[in-house]
Amino acid sequence: MKLSIINGSPRGKGSNSKILTDQFRKGFCSVESHCDIREYFIKSATYPELINALESSDFAIIIFPLYTDAMPGIVKRFFEEFTNYHLKNHKLKLGFIVQSGFPEAIHSRYLEKYLDKLAKRLEIDYLGTVIKGGIEGIKIQPKWMTRKTMEMFYDLGQHMALDWELNNEIIKRLSTPELLSRFFIFMYRVIGKLGFTNFYWDQQLKKNNAFGNRFAQPYSKP
Amino acid sequence: MKITILNGNPYEDNKTFESYLDEVALALDDLGLDVITVTLRDKNIHSCTGCWGCWVKNPGECSIPDDSGEIRDKIIHSDLIIFASPLIMGFTSALLKILQDKLIPLIHPYLEIVNNEIHHQKRYDQYPGLALLFQPEPETDDEDIQIVTDIYHRFSINFKSELLFSKSIETPIEKLVNEIIHYQR
Repeated sequence: MKLSIINGSPRGKGSNSKILTDQFRKGFCSVESHCDIREYFIKSATYPELINALESSDFAIIIFPLYTDAMPGIVKRFFEEFTNYHLKNHKLKLGFIVQSGFPEAIHSRYLEKYLDKLAKRLEIDYLGTVIKGGIEGIKIQPKWMTRKTMEMFYDLGQHMALDWELNNEIIKRLSTPELLSRFFIFMYRVIGKLGFTNFYWDQQLKKNNAFGNRFAQPYSKP
Repeated sequence: MKITILNGNPYEDNKTFESYLDEVALALDDLGLDVITVTLRDKNIHSCTGCWGCWVKNPGECSIPDDSGEIRDKIIHSDLIIFASPLIMGFTSALLKILQDKLIPLIHPYLEIVNNEIHHQKRYDQYPGLALLFQPEPETDDEDIQIVTDIYHRFSINFKSELLFSKSIETPIEKLVNEIIHYQR
């Protein structure tokens, strides 16, 4: 069985999406002796390469970050290739992973409906969409903060190799929380008053000597 | 009232779409409204690379020099932005989506709770209203329209705005214009 991963992050090989699929790959390869996973990056691959990946695979997963509440522009551009090209690979099963910086899954649910419909439009079997929030910043977070997420993507890959599907139970765990709890909202407001909620951004602004300019409005009229 | 129409039609020979937009712009202009149409296929707009330079290096401005800066300037000084595009594979064009991704500098990276959800904070004091004008594909159904409308509604929340309408170019021009002229942000 051949599995292709198509990474649609504008950051390509340096993306958070790649960190997640690396874990997925580890889990997958812990079961499959041949471990036939091919990885492609929309940012750098040609469209014929990407289409060939879909034509020659049994399974494919397209992963990308949520950008302005939908797929990044480069991913949409890739989807538009299918206006002129009809996939001939009727055995292909296609799934998606949408990751975002927002903690709750609700932000990506609207796009999930689009992806479901896209699979129907392409007449491809749909494996489902994995939604994972809270991903921005995982590169700099200590291991104890990302351990659960990494384990879940490992498990997702392992189940893929065992059952050839995106495991529904793991999908459900990954998409938690669907909405913010009252406790989260309360704590967020408390921590916000102490000025800690923007720590991730403040750290980078300070590193770039841009903190004092963080509220700049370059398009405001003088 | 200032209105900016973002023409996301990638196909110059799609005359049905182009004529409709021209007629809308003309009708609004005749009523004394300040209308600008930005034809995105004539602009040099580089895809967002996710560098977040617009948030953490040069706040509010994209690090990639292209034509998106002049469009951001027009947008933030408009009262209404019309995202106009044919639907392609069930969604607005990549041409329009690439520009939409380049609107991130207009929003602040800091987060806040809005209606019990996490959203980005505003960078500017005021944002224009948003509207979606689309050309259906032959296979477009009600579900497709609902999907694209819902996604633009969600975008309007993060853009500190509201979605005035989501309408097909099959809408009579008088009806569309009537809705626009009564809009107050």
